[in-house]
Amino acid sequence: MAGLPRRITKETQRLLSEPVQGISATPDENNLRYFHVTINGPKDSPFEGGVFKLELFLPEEYPMAAPKVRFNTKIYHPNIDKIGRICLDILKDKWSPALQVRTVLLSIQALLSAPNPDDPLANDVADNWKRNEAAAIKTAREWTQKYAMSGGQ
Amino acid sequence: MGNCFGSEEDVDDISLLRNEESSDDDELRYPPPYMPPYQSDQGEQSQTIYHLSPGQSRTANELTEEEKVRVAQREGLIDHLPRNTWDENHVTNKKVRECCICMIDFEQDEPIRYLPCMHYYHLDCIDDWLMRSFTCPTCMEPVDAALLLSYDSQNLDSG
Repeated sequence: MAGLPRRITKETQRLLSEPVQGISATPDENNLRYFHVTINGPKDSPFEGGVFKLELFLPEEYPMAAPKVRFNTKIYHPNIDKIGRICLDILKDKWSPALQVRTVLLSIQALLSAPNPDDPLANDVADNWKRNEAAAIKTAREWTQKYAMSGGQ
Repeated sequence: MGNCFGSEEDVDDISLLRNEESSDDDELRYPPPYMPPYQSDQGEQSQTIYHLSPGQSRTANELTEEEKVRVAQREGLIDHLPRNTWDENHVTNKKVRECCICMIDFEQDEPIRYLPCMHYYHLDCIDDWLMRSFTCPTCMEPVDAALLLSYDSQNLDSG
């Protein structure tokens, strides 16, 4: 593999020296393009109190192509499917090389605060979210407790 | 948003790392059908790779006629965008000194390119991006609309 681009080194240093509140991103010791990420469930969301694990990979083309990100912790969210894939425009057609690992993770954190059932990835979850929001939020809270709190998987 | 259903790839339960390795396999499975003799001693690295959109890359041999036209048109449009060289003597404190694509500071006499929105980048950095998406990375303004407008006003001026 070619050497690590300066940009990735710089981003990693800045992520470690000026961390974002509620988010951690640590490069893997064997692959500096692969990050172990945690995002704390935002306050006043059904994910509050949960710590969600994600994996983030910077492909060879980065920053010309978006990072690949997915949830490793199970989550009940209309824009995240059962294997953790995320429906977020900046990870697809709205990617720009001016965006960074930091901004991507902030956007994912914002997505947890503002689920968007009109642009679903997990169809069944989105249907429930639209049909009975209170019940969906309750399920999301239960999943957070079960999978994203200490003792959960 | 709204394109997530169309992009159901075969990611399934594999991790991102293993997924990346399998895409290398794909490249091995689809060798370029014909390698011109003048490139044969330099191996695959020397082939120009064209990026039709972020994440979509092909060698010249793999482009369809239609795509070749698109690439040529795009290269022509990029050529019309103003370029300059970085001059430390004309830098004010407010000016951005770092190219936000590569995150490296501009150095004296380095070639830079301005977009119609007045955002600027290293020439090589922005040209690489514009081949994939004709938008400004910073403000996301489409570049071609502004460019066409400036063409129109030039035509009006001359006529």
